[in-house]
Amino acid sequence: MPAHDVLIIGAGLAGQRAALAAAQAGASVAIVSKVHPVRSHSVAAAGGINAALNPGDSWESHAFDTVKGSDYLGDQDAIEIMCRAAPDEILWLEHAGVTFHRDEAGRLGTRAFGGASAARTYYVADITGQAILHVLYEQLMKHHERVDRFEEWFTTELVQDDGGRCCGAIARDVRSGHLDAFRAKAVVLASGGAGQVFRPTTNALICTGDGMAQAYRIGAPLMDMEMIQYHPTTLAENGFLITEGARGEGAQLFNARGERFMERYAPNKLELASRDVVCRAEQTEIDEGRGFPDGTIALDITKVPRKRTLEALREIVNIGRDFAGVDITREPIHIKPGMHYIMGGVRAGTDGRTPVPGLYAVGEVACVSVHGGNRLGANSLLDTLIFGRRAGEHAAHHAVGLPMPRIEAARLRDAQAEIDALVARVPAPGSRRISHLKRELGETMNRYVAVYRDAAGLATAHEVVRRLKEEAPRAAIDDRGAVFNQDVLAAFELGYMLDVAEAIVLAAQERRESRGAQFRVDYPRRDDAGWLHHITVSRNGQEVPRTGTEPVAITRWQPQERTY
Amino acid sequence: MRVAYWPGCVSRGFTPELHGSMEAVAPLLGLELVPLDRAACCGAGVIAEHNQELADTLNARTFALAQQVDGAELMMNICSTCQGAQSECQERLDANSAYRARVNATLDDAEPGLRYEKGLTNKNLLWLLVEELGLDALRAKVRRPLTNLRVGPFYGCYIVRPRARLGIDAEHPRDRYLHQVIETLGGTVIDYAGTYKCCGFPIVTMNKTASLRQAGTHLGDATDAEADCLVVPCPLCHLNLDLQQPQAAKVVGRPLAMPVLHLPQLLGLALGLEPKQLGMSKHVVKPTAVIDWSAAVVAAPAPA
Amino acid sequence: MADYTLRVRRFDPEQTSGPYWQEFAVELEPHRSVLDAILTAKEELDGSLGIRCSCRAAICGSCGVRVNGRPALACNTHLRDATDAGPAADGSTATVTVEPMGNMPVLKDLIVDMDAVHWKKIHRVTPWLLNRRPVPEREYVVPHEDMVDVTQTMACIQCGACVSDCLSMEVDPEFVGPAAAAKAYRFVGDPRDAEQRQRLRDLAEDPHGIYDCTHCFMCIDACPKGVAPMSQIMRLRRISGSDHQIVDRNNGERHEEAFTTLVRDYGLLHEAELLPRSYGGNSWFGKFHPAAGLELVDSLPSIARAVARRKVKPTQALRGHRLARRDLDAVHAIFERVEGDARRHELNLYLSGVEEEAPAP
Repeated sequence: MPAHDVLIIGAGLAGQRAALAAAQAGASVAIVSKVHPVRSHSVAAAGGINAALNPGDSWESHAFDTVKGSDYLGDQDAIEIMCRAAPDEILWLEHAGVTFHRDEAGRLGTRAFGGASAARTYYVADITGQAILHVLYEQLMKHHERVDRFEEWFTTELVQDDGGRCCGAIARDVRSGHLDAFRAKAVVLASGGAGQVFRPTTNALICTGDGMAQAYRIGAPLMDMEMIQYHPTTLAENGFLITEGARGEGAQLFNARGERFMERYAPNKLELASRDVVCRAEQTEIDEGRGFPDGTIALDITKVPRKRTLEALREIVNIGRDFAGVDITREPIHIKPGMHYIMGGVRAGTDGRTPVPGLYAVGEVACVSVHGGNRLGANSLLDTLIFGRRAGEHAAHHAVGLPMPRIEAARLRDAQAEIDALVARVPAPGSRRISHLKRELGETMNRYVAVYRDAAGLATAHEVVRRLKEEAPRAAIDDRGAVFNQDVLAAFELGYMLDVAEAIVLAAQERRESRGAQFRVDYPRRDDAGWLHHITVSRNGQEVPRTGTEPVAITRWQPQERTY
Repeated sequence: MRVAYWPGCVSRGFTPELHGSMEAVAPLLGLELVPLDRAACCGAGVIAEHNQELADTLNARTFALAQQVDGAELMMNICSTCQGAQSECQERLDANSAYRARVNATLDDAEPGLRYEKGLTNKNLLWLLVEELGLDALRAKVRRPLTNLRVGPFYGCYIVRPRARLGIDAEHPRDRYLHQVIETLGGTVIDYAGTYKCCGFPIVTMNKTASLRQAGTHLGDATDAEADCLVVPCPLCHLNLDLQQPQAAKVVGRPLAMPVLHLPQLLGLALGLEPKQLGMSKHVVKPTAVIDWSAAVVAAPAPA
Repeated sequence: MADYTLRVRRFDPEQTSGPYWQEFAVELEPHRSVLDAILTAKEELDGSLGIRCSCRAAICGSCGVRVNGRPALACNTHLRDATDAGPAADGSTATVTVEPMGNMPVLKDLIVDMDAVHWKKIHRVTPWLLNRRPVPEREYVVPHEDMVDVTQTMACIQCGACVSDCLSMEVDPEFVGPAAAAKAYRFVGDPRDAEQRQRLRDLAEDPHGIYDCTHCFMCIDACPKGVAPMSQIMRLRRISGSDHQIVDRNNGERHEEAFTTLVRDYGLLHEAELLPRSYGGNSWFGKFHPAAGLELVDSLPSIARAVARRKVKPTQALRGHRLARRDLDAVHAIFERVEGDARRHELNLYLSGVEEEAPAP
């Protein structure tokens, strides 16, 4: 059984940043990831990372934009912390080797992004996430003596001691099938989002809500789960992301009549209004028959000078060519809103601590909540890094005085028996394949829990989720082996996704108003008197989850009407 | 067809039989060769490794000289390496007018009036055979089909990669042309692992063992596939595969006796020339010693 | 919809049967990807079919495989292209053959051991920034072009496609390889790095370093992200030899110098001089250097054979062929003007792109 001061689960930006910070603070660190760290979904973040670093900009302005973007559901204390720390984090990354874009004078250059009152997005072409993730991995390689990497180890559950403190995790070495218990004085969950609950989604196949479900199962509350961000520009056919950087560079949206319709929805910010606003505008155009026959909107990137597109939007050029057969420098590309991000997650404080002692959560798995009802573009990378670092440091400092916890061998044997039973499962007559259950879940969520929602649709979604939860334990398994048994992983992931889906639907049913990404057709107004609070979902040992509320932290910005 | 003909260096140096066989076979193909004997070495990628602009300028001079040849439809080379190295330079020259102007200024300085205009067509003999002459026309010229001759095609890296730069696509399957030509001449194409691999020549001075292991492995694979001979459109490949064959045999630890023909030699045989006329006695592994060209392999000349 | 036969090379390490081929019939639109086909087979027919994949959009680098004998990402290879994709395909059938990548041990089905080869080599090149001191309080001020330039190598997604078919690695498994060399350029080309000379010396002196690349262009075609590893290796050589005057023990720099000098002096390549000079040094006297002597003895059988076959006349071997005076003068003028420039002028197509058409005259 490996034993470390700090165990980090997930090796995207949040996990790697936490690992580096914890190691820097003197802790022994293990980082466990179900994929090789550079495959983590942070790699797909394209557009950039926000920071008020320019002399003319201020962290207050950045914070206000974030608060407004969140539709006043973001916790302002956390937002202040994030925006104040942003400039130093950019410089830390730059010194670590990130190849940020420079202006002609050789200084860091910025691009414009949605919902922001200043151009404060720092970027590396349109591979910002990849560039930062790979540089952090360079740093992990550099510090290999202080951070033990467990690459391609799949975490199956979190472990608590008798007092309820999180003291480690059980994980399976995907390469060998070997199961082991990882003991730790502190556990940092950094396992990312849950986009695969929806279909289509911009999210990778690995984004299956593992950490959210694992924390939820040991009593941690999930918060803001109804806040599902749809991205305004995803490829019609497969849901692939076209970065907001394209609109930041000057690309425009048109309906089938050739109207630049954003003039009607957000006369000032136009295409660069916040994402929820642009998505609703697009969806309205489509629903009212002004979209293209395939239910899409045109994104015209030819408005951006070709040379600039080829330098700064290279990846989008590739995606257009490879996945849509379109040369974006010459013709518009057809897009529509697509599921992209979950603002909600495991409720966590500004040091990443969750209500379960010993357990931290950072990045997309967590809900701090800096994004509230709607995340601004280029704030997610920032969130992962700032709170990843803070949680790593906090966990390391607190681990110093603690004894190394024990995990009983029986615990590991039970976990092994569960997997053995899963691998040996004989398909019952009529039992469906995991992939089929997953597809039904995703299509249901994307139909009823999307840009526009109502009570009837949410009830239907809830029904489907409950039915799938009953069916999942009987799903058929093909692979009986130990080495890279991806069927076993898929079975675990399906269970995680169903837990997360249930929490999403419950929260969406509960919030009977429209705020941020949650638009209830049956409650179309924001209602600050009734609903200016977070909604939590927790299970806490019960089979039936319960919803609760948490206050929103308001420091200096009172809710106002939100226009762009 | 009149072409500005670039023989390259090695075909006039260590593999003179290549240049010789090309000159012998040209009239039979209806090719009028106007040699670019004023042009300099293409640099074989090595000068570009040293200084890109230098390689680009030297080749721009070659291209400019080719463009001055009266009545020439295009420039033709007989060396994969020349094709690849020159295509790389031409890609840069054609991509950017400012850069082209800069290179042309140097040319004008070196030789007043000399100037490269974007858009030269430069084809290896292999490409010319298929795209200009045509396989049907070639088939019609065959006097002595290579019946029963089992030929392993060996392209050389520079003529098959990178595909985009070399214009290889579904319409121009230039990476199949050697196969097509062998079949057109009546021979049998042998499928073996080395067809698109590297002969090892570029690292022969840096890592001789690795270099010869490459050559030896391909020759061994072709032997195992029961090829009678290999055919190459590149004299540098020929050096490693033929001249160095005894050394390569030592490195891979097996006896090797695989004749390696230059493309014009294979053409010449099928078009009715004798092995000797094609310089085949100059090879280290003498095709004449390994294959009985007179009877066993090559059918009698077809009636005219 | 079209019918495809997906032919997969499978391997189950827990069985003793060894690798085998299995065919799956899948029905998909021709513009769908090979990964879609593999996942369809996995989801509908056999969940035990092993493949790494995640993003589906060619950014995570998980799904490197060989499609019809060529290294590629399964996710950005279209089925319609895969069926006529190359040497191994006969163009007519709708069979798509998928195998695990080469040069790396297979763990299961399409999954290879990247750690044992790819990542080990990445570690080899000190893959992190060694900061130039002093580290500025704010950002390093560096040219815009330099950052775009190193972003080309930063764009490497570590998929291993270039490693899979590296022809140098095939005969010399210790070769540092295209991905690691590109990673090295990412630091050598980064003006914020302090150890460029050390990095270059290290890779030049290593017998399996930058001079062990056989210049076969495989990695350029294999790379799904336009990193062009071989081009980066050539730049490493250029910077090593020309900017840092690193004369390596592998004859790499001497070979390059000798080749270039011979073309300057003769206009054409003088093969008989090239070999000894590459070993012994770049002058007519190079051949008398002990290293050149040893190599000559080693090469004697080859040279003797060439002479015996009347391939090469002894006099010609000694004198070489050269251009006429007037052409040599032009070549010299080109050398003088280009090499006389204070800094090398390079057109990097990754930065400049390709012009749409020539501007009107």
